[in-house]
Amino acid sequence: MTGRQRKQFWRAVHAALILVAMFVMLVPIVWIFLAAFKTHVDVYQLKLFFTPTLENFGIVFDDPYRLGQKLFNSTIVALVTVVIAIPIATLAAYSFSRFSMRGETMMLVIILATQFVPAVVIILPFFVMFRDIGLLDTRVGLILVNLAIVMPFAIWMIKGFIDGIPMDTEEAAMVDGSSRLQVIRNIVLPMAAPGLLTSGIFCFIIAWNEFLFALILTNKEAVTLPIGLALFKGEEGDLWNLLSAAGIIIMAPMFVLALMIRKYFVQGMTMGAVR
Amino acid sequence: MAEIKLNNLTKRWGDFVGVDDQSLHIKDREFLVLLGPSGCGKTTTMRMIAGLEDPTAGEIWIGDRMVNDDLPKDRDVAMVFQNYGLYPHMTIFENIAYPLRVRGVDKSEVKPRVEKAAEQVELTQFLDRKPKALSGGQRQRVALARAIVRTPKVFLMDEPLSNLDAKLRVTMRAELKHLSRELQITTVYVTHDQIEAMTLADRVAVMKHGVIQQLGTPDEIYNDPANLFVAGFIGSPAMNLINGSVRNGMFVTTGGTQLVKLDAADRAKAILGVRADDMQVHDAGQGDIDVTIYAFENTGESTLLTVQWGKQRVIARGDRHLRKDQDEVVGISLDPDHLYLFDPETEDRIRI
Ligand SMILES: Nc1ncnc2c1ncn2[C@@H]1O[C@H](COP(=O)(O)OP(=O)(O)OP(=O)(O)O)[C@@H](O)[C@H]1O
Ligand SMILES: [Mg+2]
Repeated sequence: MTGRQRKQFWRAVHAALILVAMFVMLVPIVWIFLAAFKTHVDVYQLKLFFTPTLENFGIVFDDPYRLGQKLFNSTIVALVTVVIAIPIATLAAYSFSRFSMRGETMMLVIILATQFVPAVVIILPFFVMFRDIGLLDTRVGLILVNLAIVMPFAIWMIKGFIDGIPMDTEEAAMVDGSSRLQVIRNIVLPMAAPGLLTSGIFCFIIAWNEFLFALILTNKEAVTLPIGLALFKGEEGDLWNLLSAAGIIIMAPMFVLALMIRKYFVQGMTMGAVR
Repeated sequence: MAEIKLNNLTKRWGDFVGVDDQSLHIKDREFLVLLGPSGCGKTTTMRMIAGLEDPTAGEIWIGDRMVNDDLPKDRDVAMVFQNYGLYPHMTIFENIAYPLRVRGVDKSEVKPRVEKAAEQVELTQFLDRKPKALSGGQRQRVALARAIVRTPKVFLMDEPLSNLDAKLRVTMRAELKHLSRELQITTVYVTHDQIEAMTLADRVAVMKHGVIQQLGTPDEIYNDPANLFVAGFIGSPAMNLINGSVRNGMFVTTGGTQLVKLDAADRAKAILGVRADDMQVHDAGQGDIDVTIYAFENTGESTLLTVQWGKQRVIARGDRHLRKDQDEVVGISLDPDHLYLFDPETEDRIRI
């Protein structure tokens, strides 16, 4: 092979591998997309061409499924989690990044370590505690659980972004006459904004997709979308078309957020120093 | 208007001493230059004055107030950072305006003052840009403008001209000199550049390893160095330092050449210092000593002759019309009124 041919060969291999990876990842999603618009009859056939229908989306919002309420629960839980988590995590991350305190590394490691505890291990204590204080099957309860899940992650991620802001910039602002809070408001927050947004989106995704805790800790009032999926088991077996329609409703915000992340993540990474 | 007093100021990190028990009294309206090699503690000293670094020991006074426990914002200083410290998310205008805004200066006053400061550093056409879209030199001028937009008690400038090209540096140097005479604000100015130090300073403090070696007017520092370090550090080219001894009122080089008459007591080891400008170049045989030219350099405004002097090399400055070539022999004579003698052990100056 000449050098040119070799180059073309590897380029072809490269492209093929990407295609295979894409195929593996996308097939289930494509399947769901198709199924969501099929009728109950069509869904068991692997047809690519069929008369699409929107009726599935109507059914899932009607009795007895009432997906609307679950959508509402999911939205509230995920949004409130983010709105509480990001400001607190930002302050914590700023302190970790800028002040040195006794046992700082230890604390950071412990915070990270909580991420490695398998959820099933702590779910029972949560259940018992929530039962005792009446938080079972409430949105407040779910928000608390989600906060516990996303906080460590958010602190670490935001700390990374704040570490990237040069100390000089903050010091200049202090000499120029800012208090610490003014430094945070005028300098750190605007400079870390893409990072905060990225972290917020990640937290939202985690909370939105959270399944295990919601499964155990809710049963009627506070049920979220992922749990709602389990409803589509009828006497006649799984209702794949309805399941798929609900799946799309769960995934839709993820697609939008993924696009946003792509834009801000890059920006967040490159928004470094001006030297 | 304020004087700055540093009393027994020390900064240590663990065992490492950044600034070692230094006292310095900077007068009201004085322009003090901190000069010294890289890592000698210039920036550290300045950061302690600004309140960005807590001293390990000692007191810092600005005016009649001890500011050790004051936050940077309450010390009323303006600082130009060595690496600018600009606000990347703000336009140049907002950058320069920030000290005014955060201190609550009246809105109507901000614009004219920012524009005036921008004009003084020739930045007027960049006001709408972000720092990212400026060159290094332009960013440095933004940092400068941000400092002069206010009238603080003290200016702190950490190598504010280091990234400008040669021509702009000269212009800005003159601009700074003019500005400092006009504003009459106490200034601490850090630089590596001797010409900056000589031209701008009322007084210069030469530092090494966290210790001030000499504090004096540019004239004193140049013409009356306190020790070997200052003598070797100040001047371009640096002062020639020749090893030898003093015997019977003569300085004798290590090679044994009887060089020049000296009114000093005998000592087995001594270092003779002489500036390139204090040596005259003659034809061979006409000076105190004949030497071979190792390198001949023409800088345009003068000529520099590096000559081999036994085992040492020495630089003499010649007339700008002088033309010599490598390996030629010339005569050199030393100006007996401008010779310096140092003790090689203590590195102290021996007065003659
Ligand atoms: N945070 C720190 N921890 C430990 N050592 C430090 C710290 N900051 C500075 N130093 C050390 O203190 C010494 C003085 O530093 P400083 O920045 O004051 O030097 P400088 O005179 O400004 O040098 P330059 O001309 O290169 O800017 C250096 O040797 C530096 O390594
Ligand atoms: Mg420095």
